[in-house]
Amino acid sequence: MTLLIALPKGRLGDEAFARLRGTPYELDVAALKGRALQVPTATPGVEALLLKGADLPRYVAGGVAALGVVGSDTLDEEDADLLELADLGFGACRLSLCAKAGVSLDALRAKAHLRLATKFTAATSAWLESQDLAAELVPLQSSVELAPLLGLADAIVDLVQTGTTLQAHGLVELAVLARTSARLVAGRGAYLGDPARLGPLSRALTDALRA
Amino acid sequence: MTLRTPHFPDQLFDATAQLRAWESALLNLLLDNAYREVRPSLVLREPMAQSALRFFDQDELVGLRWDYTESLARLFASRFPEPPPRVAYAGPVFRKSSAPWEAVERTEVGCERIQEAHQDPDDADQELALLLLAVPKTLGLKRCLLHLGDAALWKGPLEAEKIEGPSAAAATRALHRRAPHRVKEALEGHPAADRIATHAALLAAEPDGLAGLTALEGSPYTDLIAPQVQRLAERFKALLPLAPSGVELRLDLADVSGLDFYTGSTLRLWAEGATADLAAGGRYDGLYPELGKPWRAAGFCVRLSTLLDLRSSRPGLFTEAP
Repeated sequence: MTLLIALPKGRLGDEAFARLRGTPYELDVAALKGRALQVPTATPGVEALLLKGADLPRYVAGGVAALGVVGSDTLDEEDADLLELADLGFGACRLSLCAKAGVSLDALRAKAHLRLATKFTAATSAWLESQDLAAELVPLQSSVELAPLLGLADAIVDLVQTGTTLQAHGLVELAVLARTSARLVAGRGAYLGDPARLGPLSRALTDALRA
Repeated sequence: MTLRTPHFPDQLFDATAQLRAWESALLNLLLDNAYREVRPSLVLREPMAQSALRFFDQDELVGLRWDYTESLARLFASRFPEPPPRVAYAGPVFRKSSAPWEAVERTEVGCERIQEAHQDPDDADQELALLLLAVPKTLGLKRCLLHLGDAALWKGPLEAEKIEGPSAAAATRALHRRAPHRVKEALEGHPAADRIATHAALLAAEPDGLAGLTALEGSPYTDLIAPQVQRLAERFKALLPLAPSGVELRLDLADVSGLDFYTGSTLRLWAEGATADLAAGGRYDGLYPELGKPWRAAGFCVRLSTLLDLRSSRPGLFTEAP
């Protein structure tokens, strides 16, 4: 039976594909160019499933893919029952509270009605609770940086890698909520019910992706 | 957007026949071992877990049985001066699921071994493990893994370091994910964070034989957990030659699911292709004292609904239906 490894599309996926180059799990270039979503690897019987990050935990938890690579930010938002076998180290970002330059954290704390725009509602809610703060969350899927500039929110919670995008929009980081990176995940049943296949594969993938 | 999936599956002819056959076979196994069947009411009127399905019967809040163990404990604690030693049960439970695709109504068969406080719990734990070893053959399951563990291997160090409340919950959630790196994050700022993270990394090793227990000699809590380690090693060695063909026995030291309930030995049955455990249980010595009885107890339940899913996705794992 073919074993599926779920990989995210986008920046994190590109880095994962690059790290797998030259390893037994290198993705078939021709299939990748053909925009296939299920791609053979250099190991017969092991294929990659290319998915949107937010969907990936569900595919692994549902037992379709045995293993997966996903950002810890997505993992925390989805809260799927997965095993997180390794911190792969790459794709490192900060999940940060950001606001227009000149706005301080104390000023935000003092607001009677604080509005935060974010894609990361679960992580933001948890942070607000830990800070004993209340806020209205404005759920957005992309271009979150626009929200404080156009008055939709007072601040945003978003992933920051280099800070260039923030700078370009005149925003600054006020607090780091979490540090995120790519993680190797496994379905609980898949890993614990078939350790003879999944154990060696997860170790080999960790070695390949951490290199 | 609310997703509406078939949370209350109707079981049609073949599935019903299979459930009935499994239920009868398992109950016979338990009755042959001196367990006596009890059927507590499906409707609960006492305080219920958040995951229970609740509704109003006119102006009275009632719920559906969400777990046999607690229903039975309330029944025995209120009506029995002495614990009924061996109890079996079979039927549906209704539990709000965490994943949207999971059914709310599930069929379970299980057993409880209840003792006076002075009786030896190790004998009961061994008896239950032996019974669970006999379950796969009874179900016609050809290959599976039985994991043995002990909740005290994790609970003990947390209590010794006075880690409780949200910090303990977050650290336990991280170990449940087999992510020791997250344990350290969860305890950031606590003086014992490094020690507990080191211990968690040893517990989170791949489930295996005695090697995992030997590795615990490198734990900062070696002395504290020595009695549990010794007991688990003895139990594993005693059960290993008794495991029937097709049942692989392993130690899973990171089995911390239900840690607020389990106090000692844990049991969990897995098979390739199953997205969840097929049977689970363990020692829960805290429940009866909470209900005013100085009794200790352990048990396990077999999740027939999960088995039915597995039989449908991996028919080759099963012998022909009995």
